[in-house]
Amino acid sequence: MIREALVWLQTSLGKGTGDTAQSWSEALLGSLNFWGLLEGTHLITLVLFAGTIFVVDLRLLGLTFRKTPVSVVSDKILPLTVAGFVILIATGLALFFAKPLVYYHNIWFRAKLVFLVLAMLNIVIFHTRVQNNQAAWDTLELPPRGARIAAMLSLLSWLLVIAMGRFIPYNWFDCGKPIPHIVNVMQDCKTSEQGAVDKEDMAKLGVAKQGGQAR
Amino acid sequence: MNSRLTLSTILGAGILAAAAIGVGSAAAHHAFSAEFDGKSPVLLRGKVTKVEWINPHAWVHLNAAGPDGKVEEWMVEGGTPNTLLRAGVDKNTLKVGTEIIVRGYQSKDKACTPVCKANGRDVTFPDGRKVFMGSSGTGAPKDGSDPGDKQ
Repeated sequence: MIREALVWLQTSLGKGTGDTAQSWSEALLGSLNFWGLLEGTHLITLVLFAGTIFVVDLRLLGLTFRKTPVSVVSDKILPLTVAGFVILIATGLALFFAKPLVYYHNIWFRAKLVFLVLAMLNIVIFHTRVQNNQAAWDTLELPPRGARIAAMLSLLSWLLVIAMGRFIPYNWFDCGKPIPHIVNVMQDCKTSEQGAVDKEDMAKLGVAKQGGQAR
Repeated sequence: MNSRLTLSTILGAGILAAAAIGVGSAAAHHAFSAEFDGKSPVLLRGKVTKVEWINPHAWVHLNAAGPDGKVEEWMVEGGTPNTLLRAGVDKNTLKVGTEIIVRGYQSKDKACTPVCKANGRDVTFPDGRKVFMGSSGTGAPKDGSDPGDKQ
């Protein structure tokens, strides 16, 4: 269901007629400058986003700007974080649009989305629960345990989002390669064009094959 | 005042160092050694079957004999379409059916599943023109194919 929509997005949307016609997705992926500009913007904006959200998290942990009220730090800094986030989502969506099927079958991308959802949930819980009595601890050098836990979870989940994103380009677990069965299942390789090859099966066959070939 | 000066000096030096490293690896999307084996050079000669002009790496497909002499489908990683265009490799010079010779390094897994993979260093065209087709600063062996390599 999701995959069919992504196939359409990648191969059909915006496609004209003629032998060399490309869909919008294919044109973006093959572009001489635009794709690189998107990727560069995504990565540079990440510095703005992560750098600013970490400052707020560290204040909530009581590690930086201890004499400055939490509200002063967050009012000054969070607008920058939000601006960064908007640019990250926009460029991220465009980069996803350039090769939706690659990301759909990529374990790192899937893990990144999981941690992204966790990070967003943490934000919602922070705003609806933890911040309810912020007036009571706004000026404390060391905010209460709930705020510190939220800050810790924020730091952890965003670091994991970034780390998972960094691993996306590596081909260790590409569908079609002999990879562990569990990874084939987790990235749904069976439905991919490259198919699923279980490393466990290859290992059984490989004993005979390796013996016959001198490499 | 003095400690502040020292701090800004350290910061400044750090930024300069980072910039210097950044320039060197600007084209590196991921490290060569993560996927390819610098000790497994391959020389592939064959007809181009397909070229994927995509970011961040173009892929040239050809049928060629590997190190074991068996003719198989190989896909060879090149630079970005933009890098290749500036080096003189484009859709008109590298067409399906063009007979080329590619020097490169095989993937670490050497599995050839689903097809054999290699990192391309240079490509030689039927007219004898030899062009660097890879990315600079990825940590690939300094084999002389990259004109950007400093010796």
